Amino acid sequence: MAEIRIENATKRFGDFVAVDKANLVIADKEFVVLLGPSGCGKTTLLRAVAGLGMADEGRITIGGRDVTYLPPRERKIAMVFQSYAIFPHMKVRDNIAFGLKMASVDPREIDKRVNNAAGLMHIEKLLDRYPSNMSGGQRQRVAVARAIAMQSEVLLMDEPLSNLDALLRLEMRAELKQLLAGIGATTIYVTHDQIEALSMGDRIAVMKDGLIQQVDHPTVVYDLPSNLFVGSFIGNPPMNFMRGQVQQNGALKVKIGDFELEPAERMKPLLKKYDGQQVILGIRAENMETLNHPVADGVKVQVRVVEPLGSQNLLTVKIGEDIIKVSTHPTFNVAPNNDVWLRFPADKIRWIDRDSEQVLYP
Amino acid sequence: MTTLTPPRREKKSQRKLLLYIPLLLATAFYLIPLYLMLNTGFKSFAEVDLQTMWRLPSGLHFDNFTAAFEQLAPALWNSIRLVIPAAFISSVLGSINGFVLARWKFRGADFIFPFLLFGMFIPYQSILIPLVEFMRDINLYGGVPGLVLTHVIYGIPITTLTFRNYYATVPNELVESARIDGAGLLETYWNILLPLSIPSFVVVLIWQFTSAWNDFLFAVVLTSPANWPITVALNNMAGSQIIEWNVQMAGAFIAALPTLLVYIFLGRYFLRGLLAGALKG
Amino acid sequence: MRFNKDRMLAVALVSPSILAVFIFVYGFIAWSGRVSLSEWVGLLPNYEWAGFSNYANLLQDPRFQIDIRNTVIFTVLFVGGSLLVGLGLAVLLDQGLRGESFFRSLFLFPMAISFIVTGVVWRWLMNPATGSRISGLNLLFDNLGLDFLISRWHTTPQWGIAAIAIPAIWQMSGYTMALYLGGLRAIPESIREAARVDGATELQIYRFQILPMLRPITLSAMIILGHISLKVFDLIVAMAGKQVALDVPAIYMWTTTFDGNFYNRGAAIGMMLLLSVAVLVIPYLWYTLRTEAKV
Repeated sequence: MAEIRIENATKRFGDFVAVDKANLVIADKEFVVLLGPSGCGKTTLLRAVAGLGMADEGRITIGGRDVTYLPPRERKIAMVFQSYAIFPHMKVRDNIAFGLKMASVDPREIDKRVNNAAGLMHIEKLLDRYPSNMSGGQRQRVAVARAIAMQSEVLLMDEPLSNLDALLRLEMRAELKQLLAGIGATTIYVTHDQIEALSMGDRIAVMKDGLIQQVDHPTVVYDLPSNLFVGSFIGNPPMNFMRGQVQQNGALKVKIGDFELEPAERMKPLLKKYDGQQVILGIRAENMETLNHPVADGVKVQVRVVEPLGSQNLLTVKIGEDIIKVSTHPTFNVAPNNDVWLRFPADKIRWIDRDSEQVLYP
Repeated sequence: MTTLTPPRREKKSQRKLLLYIPLLLATAFYLIPLYLMLNTGFKSFAEVDLQTMWRLPSGLHFDNFTAAFEQLAPALWNSIRLVIPAAFISSVLGSINGFVLARWKFRGADFIFPFLLFGMFIPYQSILIPLVEFMRDINLYGGVPGLVLTHVIYGIPITTLTFRNYYATVPNELVESARIDGAGLLETYWNILLPLSIPSFVVVLIWQFTSAWNDFLFAVVLTSPANWPITVALNNMAGSQIIEWNVQMAGAFIAALPTLLVYIFLGRYFLRGLLAGALKG
Repeated sequence: MRFNKDRMLAVALVSPSILAVFIFVYGFIAWSGRVSLSEWVGLLPNYEWAGFSNYANLLQDPRFQIDIRNTVIFTVLFVGGSLLVGLGLAVLLDQGLRGESFFRSLFLFPMAISFIVTGVVWRWLMNPATGSRISGLNLLFDNLGLDFLISRWHTTPQWGIAAIAIPAIWQMSGYTMALYLGGLRAIPESIREAARVDGATELQIYRFQILPMLRPITLSAMIILGHISLKVFDLIVAMAGKQVALDVPAIYMWTTTFDGNFYNRGAAIGMMLLLSVAVLVIPYLWYTLRTEAKV
């Protein structure tokens, strides 16, 4: 059992608060991705779990054991570094065996585990080579093999794929996911790549400015972001945001430019408070219906840019004062300067408070 | 139509040939002392004459080298007894110090560093009197062990800094990774950094070997005649009226040979040590 | 509680060395300073307070005045000469000539040799005898018909010290060459190409681009050579023994302390040497450490 609990973990560098009262519970064998832009504190938090930079405040437990101030070697963890941190003067075999030797594991057992890990990573042929003239992909495999040979219950990965080229990254992503599911270690995986996060994690913890913004399953984080930042950071293209004016003349409506939109019934009580004020509407590009003829509940917009992306056509349109992206079926025939009509399904719209930037939930 | 000839080709190679003139003059300047040492050394006693000192020897004779070697053998042995432990101990100390200073930030490290650095530059005349008194007090005055101790201690700044500068270039993740794998301070040093720093070891060993072999000031002040290393013995030989200049030349060559050999075979590391001394390595 | 065994171990490993440096360098400097303020003459220590009288006497001492004059002349010629020769050789070797690495090794080999060996050889090269006993470089000049170059070298009255700079340059100019060559190699080819495109001749490129970019190296080399120059000792001893005409502070310190037993005066000379080196080196170290910290 290796549940990781992070309670109110805070880490400062001088006056700069890198991680601010982070709370996160990672269940045994769960795969959690720490996602955020560079400088958001995700690596700092990972290093606090690793023991490479102790937290200033708060508590970190692994499997119920308080490890907050323990040195790394007493935490029983394995880690893969962004630069792989392969020891250049040791053969691949000795690299993989290093941690096991430090732990005084029986030599026959070391051999077995090294071969096993190398087999899982398909690097059996590299075992007796030195890392100096290996490719990035091969080094990456050695680094992962080194971590899995430890058979730790906790596996920490700091942007393990970010130094690979795009194609290799795609390949390794799937392979790693399969591998990690097989070994069943509690895993924290740091990345700034939202697609990597969405595709790999059981849950995603989105961080910004040292604060954890949202922790949830990838589909939830994508569909129901907790705030404007999460919506704008996750997804490609990011979530669209439009300003709207709440008006209650009998029925509650929201005006976007000249267009009047009727919110979902369950949102109305919440939006009442904003009568006469602006709110922000968020909607994903693929959640709008695009038509090339007028409809009663659709808004007419002019197409500015058409980007055919193969699986979809991405349109850039202006609505009210805001520019948004709309995804259409690749067969949808449209040219720049054409008029199209957009329909907003009420249950796909997220409502955001303009001041707090938090998404409103009934 | 006029044909265009490729214009400056010839001129350029002429210019390059011209550059060899100063280069060869410089070569003569650097080689003359070496020529004199070897040329005189290989002459027989009969051909030695100041008037013909530039003339080549009639054949290879070893009279001068044998005579000089007989004179200098005890001093050579003293130098070997001095240089090997001095170079070895300084390198080990420097490596450990450099490792700690580069890797473990502790309070006061920034304070210590400049003081260590300045220790490289002090004129030893400013510590010579206390050093002699101290060596007398601990009964190491006059012998080789005292001189070894002196070279080791005054070598700490340069050896520490050379290693520190090297260890600072080792990626931090390498060390962290070893820590994650359960390696403590000494294990990290022994398994990761020490093997990586073998080239630095060679650099520092050579540096300390050369400076201890070539040192004169400490040796002349701290050792008694029986324990004189080669530099002091050679200087003494050169100052004496009895010993002929040709034997002095041969002696100078013998004294220079060990460091010259190191330079010829390990010049790359020697140069790196030199440049590290300029704080730029 | 945060308790770190490794940290304790780290401190335990370095502290003996650091302690040794602090005692043998800074403790001994303080001790020397105390001796320089004492009446200690003779073999037995005598720490009776003398104030600054040893320093005052030294400054009026004609021998010490000669020392200062000699040091200044030697420093100017040795540092200047090494920089010029080193730069010249570096620029030559930067032209992509054949045999570059051979020449580079050749110019550097004197660095591996001790000042004593250099001194012993050059003492015969610079033999000032004339007439039938002519030898060394003078003999060579005589044979080559370059009689105007025949010199009394280090026995020239007043300016003998200048001749000592020649073997010193012989020994150290390879070092400045290596420094400059490293600097030249670090200048990206694109800088030269850009200057060429802008219409600069090769000479102008050196004058306006490359030499200014080498300025930090010149500064480093000046400091390193300068402090060697202030401490010059073995070379002169090996070439000329202990003559007043070629005296420098380091030799004065040695003879007055260990031959004459004027410990107080010897210590004062040592302290003055330290002061002069400190004035040269400390600003440089301070500057280097600050720029290093910024990077």
